[in-house]
Amino acid sequence: MHELSLAMEVISLAEKEAGKKNLTLISEILIEVGELSGVEADAFQWGLEMLAKESVLANAEIKINRIPGRGRCTSCNIGFEMKTRLGMCPECNGFPSVITAGEEFRVVSLLAE
Amino acid sequence: MCDTCGCGNPDEFKIHDHNHSHDHDHHGHHHDHDHDHHGHDHEHHHDHSTKKVISLNMDILSENNRLAERNRGWFEGKKVVALNMVSSPGSGKTTILEKTIGSLASTNKIFVIEGDQQTTRDADRIEKSGAPAIQINTGSGCHLDAKMIHLALKKLDVSDRSILFIENVGNLVCPAMFDLGEQKRVVVISTTEGDDKPMKYPYMFQTSNLCIINKTDLLPYVDFSVETAMNYARQLNPELEFILMSARSGEGMTEWFDWLARQLQDNQSE
Repeated sequence: MHELSLAMEVISLAEKEAGKKNLTLISEILIEVGELSGVEADAFQWGLEMLAKESVLANAEIKINRIPGRGRCTSCNIGFEMKTRLGMCPECNGFPSVITAGEEFRVVSLLAE
Repeated sequence: MCDTCGCGNPDEFKIHDHNHSHDHDHHGHHHDHDHDHHGHDHEHHHDHSTKKVISLNMDILSENNRLAERNRGWFEGKKVVALNMVSSPGSGKTTILEKTIGSLASTNKIFVIEGDQQTTRDADRIEKSGAPAIQINTGSGCHLDAKMIHLALKKLDVSDRSILFIENVGNLVCPAMFDLGEQKRVVVISTTEGDDKPMKYPYMFQTSNLCIINKTDLLPYVDFSVETAMNYARQLNPELEFILMSARSGEGMTEWFDWLARQLQDNQSE
């Protein structure tokens, strides 16, 4: 459960940005959380909402965009959905797969005044 | 704060400075490259409103990753082999380090950064075994991060061409995401745990370089299958190396020392 310390990173990132650009009000923050990123999106959102109250994000709507996991088999070279970080290739049932999506964990944008 | 591990207060950690003076040369060429990790930054205004979208596309771990790279540069400059030791609580990390220091401290310079939520017990154990150690107490935090290591390095007078063991907080989940700037990550599991541990904590096994399976002296008494554990871990990470070890009986210690010697050698030749 490291989601709360990650939520604090987001707040400090938003605060730096607000300071740099003289933003008076941030009304929305859009964050991408990949399903294979190691971040539990619900816990992270809950933590961020709680910590935001005392911060520059106090009036911001927190939007979390969840990115489904995808992988590619390095033997068959086909892409497939990955529910966990261990993806079995549906073609050869092997495991030599690389993750191609779902590891994202980033602040995409702020909507500000 | 978080009820499970209370990871909500990153400034809560303490570094225990033992104030020991260790007499060795300190050629502190500090590689401080400040990279600008800020993403492309463009603003577009929406019509009829003062609101604007500020695109950031900024990795949330970018600050940690920036500090980790800085640590890594510092280690490279001093030719220090830095190893991040991760495991569940009770897998035997501290005992492995005690035995390692007992055998190697006369021929190698070894330093240890100890991470625990509370107490200086582990750093005390390490110092007794003969290596300078510094304790980081993460308070309610569940992992070490690159900033903590950066601050600890300012207090622990790490000499050139030494081995630095960073014993992370016992936890197979959270430390996986946090790069400390280490060259290699060593995951320890013990035979008293389930042999399906790699499947349960895939992130940690995918990001590790070496897996030590400890407490092999207990294999006759437990249901742990070394083969099963290794197969699971290899499916996750085909590059992962393994050492079977009993820090208690000494099995596998020679292999471990050889592995450490190879890391030192690789570091010197770079």
